[in-house]
Amino acid sequence: MLVALEPYVQFALKAMAREATYRFEVFTSIGSLAVRVYLLRVVWVALYARNAAPHGVELHAIITYSAVALLMGMILDIDQTSLLHDKLHDGSIVVDFMKPISVPFYLFADGTGEVLFHAALIVPSLALALLIVHIDVPSVTVFGAFIVSFFLAYFVGFFLNFTLNCIAFWTLEISAVQLMLTWVTDLLGGGIVPLLFFPAGIQQAIVALPFASMFSTPLLIYIGEIKPEQYAQYMGLQLLWIAVLAVVATVIWRAGARRVIVQGG
Amino acid sequence: MPIIETRALRKTFRSVVRGEGLGGAIGALFSREYEEKVAVEDVSMSVEQGEVVGYIGPNGAGKSTTIKMLTGILVPTSGSIEVAGIVPHEKRRQNARNIGVVFGQRSQLYWDLPLRESFELLRAIYRVPRDRYNENLAHFVEILDLDRFMATPVRQLSLGERMRGDFAAALLHDPKIVYLDEPTIGLDVVAKEAIRTFIADINKRLGTTVILTTHDLADVERLCKRIVLIDEGTVIYDGKLERLRDEYGIHRTLVVHFKDPQPDFTLAGVEIEHREPPIVWLRFDRRATTAEALIRRVTERYAITDVAIVEPEMEDIVRRLYREGYAKPPAHVPEA
Repeated sequence: MLVALEPYVQFALKAMAREATYRFEVFTSIGSLAVRVYLLRVVWVALYARNAAPHGVELHAIITYSAVALLMGMILDIDQTSLLHDKLHDGSIVVDFMKPISVPFYLFADGTGEVLFHAALIVPSLALALLIVHIDVPSVTVFGAFIVSFFLAYFVGFFLNFTLNCIAFWTLEISAVQLMLTWVTDLLGGGIVPLLFFPAGIQQAIVALPFASMFSTPLLIYIGEIKPEQYAQYMGLQLLWIAVLAVVATVIWRAGARRVIVQGG
Repeated sequence: MPIIETRALRKTFRSVVRGEGLGGAIGALFSREYEEKVAVEDVSMSVEQGEVVGYIGPNGAGKSTTIKMLTGILVPTSGSIEVAGIVPHEKRRQNARNIGVVFGQRSQLYWDLPLRESFELLRAIYRVPRDRYNENLAHFVEILDLDRFMATPVRQLSLGERMRGDFAAALLHDPKIVYLDEPTIGLDVVAKEAIRTFIADINKRLGTTVILTTHDLADVERLCKRIVLIDEGTVIYDGKLERLRDEYGIHRTLVVHFKDPQPDFTLAGVEIEHREPPIVWLRFDRRATTAEALIRRVTERYAITDVAIVEPEMEDIVRRLYREGYAKPPAHVPEA
């Protein structure tokens, strides 16, 4: 069993090593995070100076929400399976099919390695953010729930990205759709503004979409807007989306792989 | 028992018929009209363990499609195929352990990683025992001279260096069979020679079966005793290289330098291949006449300064075959 897993552990490790070779990107990603944290603080302070706290979300809570959202984005905004799209684009997927490996599992391992490298950057980024803003620290229980929910959010994102990248089996090019997905997840997922601030009618619909499972749920747990008695309901929805998206991803992957194998790409 | 056996292998692709220009492209989004394209029409061949077979043919003849079916990443439309006792497309991953593949135009090395780390990754993928891995790697490093760039990221390697790396990568797990798809394309003479020596060495030392597709017939002449010629998806010749040369290379060329320009020179029964006064290239059938007789006939009437006999190049033979087809006996399996 361990021997069977070794290649995938290696894929993940190599992906980390690969990410580390782009040193400039590392510094810019930490630096740009600090700038964004600062800008969001300015915006929220200005907005709160003239308006009453909407839905009872205090200034310190909204700043915490925004800062944690940006830190989460360091992981959730990564397209872990962009490798698939690159490989379909230049045709090198063929080489992977000639190896004794499961190609989707390889893509997952590679993406995980990439994500783990970026996860390590959260620590210095957080330190830098703390110089600019105050971030509320929740109780251990709440923080634990947040971590679990964040973990689920990661899988929702993984299957969304994977499905999206599979589209390249047919179109080869997906950057436009990808850009749209990033905007949609940020906006409808609650990465920019809490979904609580949306008009009630729309809110109901948006919360049911998979995007809310990415940013909104873990963040609302963090700032205490989702209470412990609601955890099961919200995380259940996250799990449901993982299951649905996993099925969709599997179906579209099989159709795509079949296209390569039967149609020759 | 042959290690590779295909019978009446056939592969057709379905592609969407689309009209011209933007209108056609948009139309193709809605209407689905398909046409069948035959990539491989009928390929039957059997290869014994330890053979080095040159699989050659013009562009679009179906070589790559055949190789893809042998590696298990393409499912044949019909016909049967067996590689080391396995039907490749049914057990792709099991088949993958038996084979090594090198594409001249596509690397299996990991672009951003140092060469050494790509090898390490392949060790894990193929589960090569550590001591076997160390032994193989040491050997490849020595004969392919990889030492200087083992720590260099693959994207910074020259084509020649990358190809040498790719050869080592394809052979680290001691595959029984290697498929080489134009492995010397774009390489300089020295690098080509290094690669050819390497192929000959692993075939001799390990008994590795080699299927080599190439456009460089010097590769074939140097490495392959047997060639399989394919054109329009069909095998047009399968047999010894020498036999092809003997049967098809029946023409020689006599190059005659005349003392004076002879722009109107002709000789009964002999084809003038080319003329550049005062030089004339005479193409003759070596079964019908001899070079000696021909020289005598020319010198009886003209003063000449020099003659030379040109043996047919393999390339010319193959070019004629593509053009005229192999009209001789039908393709047959060589004596084992």
